[in-house]
Amino acid sequence: MIRLTCCSATRFCLLFMALLPALAYSEMSPLGDDALADVSGQGGIYLSGDISINEMGGPVQNNYFGRCDEADKKCGARFAYRLKQDGGWMVLDEIRGMFAFEGLTLRVRSVDSGFGGDGALFDRDVIELGLPNVVRFSDVQFKIASSSTPRPTDPGFQQTDIFAVEMQGDVIMQGNLLVFPDGTP
Amino acid sequence: MGKFGSCNFPCTAMLSFALFWSLPLQAEMVTLNESEMSEIDGAGIGLVLDNFTFSHGTDAPDANGNQARIFRITGIKSTDGQDVDITVNHLYIAGADSTYGQNLTPVNLGRLLHPWRIDVVDGNTIGVRDKSVLEIAAPAMLSAAEGYDCLGGSAAAGSGTCSSRPATESWIGERADMGMQMNVAVGDDRSANLNIHAKSAVIDGSYLRLWGDDARQQMAGQFKLNFYSPELTINACTQDGSECGSRITMSDFVLQLAIGNELQPVFFDVDGTGNFVLEVDAIAAPAPGQIAANGLREGSDTATWDFYEAYYTNPEYRSNLRIGNFGVGDRDFGSARIEGMLIQHLEIRTKDLAP
Repeated sequence: MIRLTCCSATRFCLLFMALLPALAYSEMSPLGDDALADVSGQGGIYLSGDISINEMGGPVQNNYFGRCDEADKKCGARFAYRLKQDGGWMVLDEIRGMFAFEGLTLRVRSVDSGFGGDGALFDRDVIELGLPNVVRFSDVQFKIASSSTPRPTDPGFQQTDIFAVEMQGDVIMQGNLLVFPDGTP
Repeated sequence: MGKFGSCNFPCTAMLSFALFWSLPLQAEMVTLNESEMSEIDGAGIGLVLDNFTFSHGTDAPDANGNQARIFRITGIKSTDGQDVDITVNHLYIAGADSTYGQNLTPVNLGRLLHPWRIDVVDGNTIGVRDKSVLEIAAPAMLSAAEGYDCLGGSAAAGSGTCSSRPATESWIGERADMGMQMNVAVGDDRSANLNIHAKSAVIDGSYLRLWGDDARQQMAGQFKLNFYSPELTINACTQDGSECGSRITMSDFVLQLAIGNELQPVFFDVDGTGNFVLEVDAIAAPAPGQIAANGLREGSDTATWDFYEAYYTNPEYRSNLRIGNFGVGDRDFGSARIEGMLIQHLEIRTKDLAP
């Protein structure tokens, strides 16, 4: 009688053990597209602030680069890239200024209507970057140039400045940038 | 232990089953080998600007000479060494019917179903052999059965080949009014304001493709610009805008510009003196005897003849400019066309004029 009880208990234990991995397996089952579509996160991000690039001058101080209040020195950032092995360099030079914005938003948006009838056919989620309506540019400038060496302090440096752009004041930038995967994988 | 030892056959079977059941858990985590990994490919990125407006410019100075907004292009010198300064009074991208930029409304750029794309494509599908090609592309062209008239003559599907739709009463559309007003100063001599406006413009089918060329160890590319506008106008006004000259109006303006193709990519470089070089290489000439003296296929090496025939007859390699009507003020000069331009060799080299 006792032996029978023991066996029943053992059987119960083994049945439980047998089911345990099954429980673990069901925890790892993938969510279907429909189930995933019902999962949503929180609202998103609202950003305000400003970005300034070399407003006072960059970190490099030498006989070429310096602070912006030193009249004989360059204080902007420099970005050089080469398009050919052993070729010359394309340069974005003297990049400086400040961009201030209020209300740049980032969120995931579900699109299933609108867009002149495209929304219903599209019926997917997109990342939405909400532009801040107005971006205040403060003394933003950069120069497009081509140069023989990446750094102005390198020997044999020769540079041709093609043109420079200067922007100041409120730039109107309204709308939303929608980003989503597209194309043939 | 003694109790387990006394377990009968069904218990043992259940234990074996429990052990066997756990095996699939490990199988879930198998690693992928190289060939399986190479089959995995990500999709590109689609971009749409929804309800978009852009506007910037230069304001007239106030009483203290300060300007609230400045947009200026400088650094250019004239041949006699004077500074050239281009002041952009207004640059805008906005919705249709902007009345030359005075009434800015939002517009969509790109459609969800036909967006702007940034993608790395397999070169073998676009004629660039065994290369990965970075492609930045405007909304695609469609077949004539499902597209829209590129010049905005009709807002019905099946009227043309553009995917971007013109504005209607119920939808803002995907075609932007864009324009620029600027003036140029050479030294102290400032010109009148020059205005360029394009109505309901579309650049569908345009792209920039970039890849690396092994033989030249250089970046190679292919650039296509399609620009369609029902009305492109240019006129000049006095700086205070009180008086304007006659308006040059180009109606039904179509530009299809192809710089570089898969056989003759465009190369970008900077030479040793720091000057920019843009180059389209000439296509290799056939070896002597490959093409018959009379130029016919018979008597020529057929593969070589077919290659040159395909090169010279491919409309994708050619550039076109069509203007429906060219008008100045109230005078019409009729239509103008430049068609089938093929760039066989191009080399543009900047030169520094500064002393």
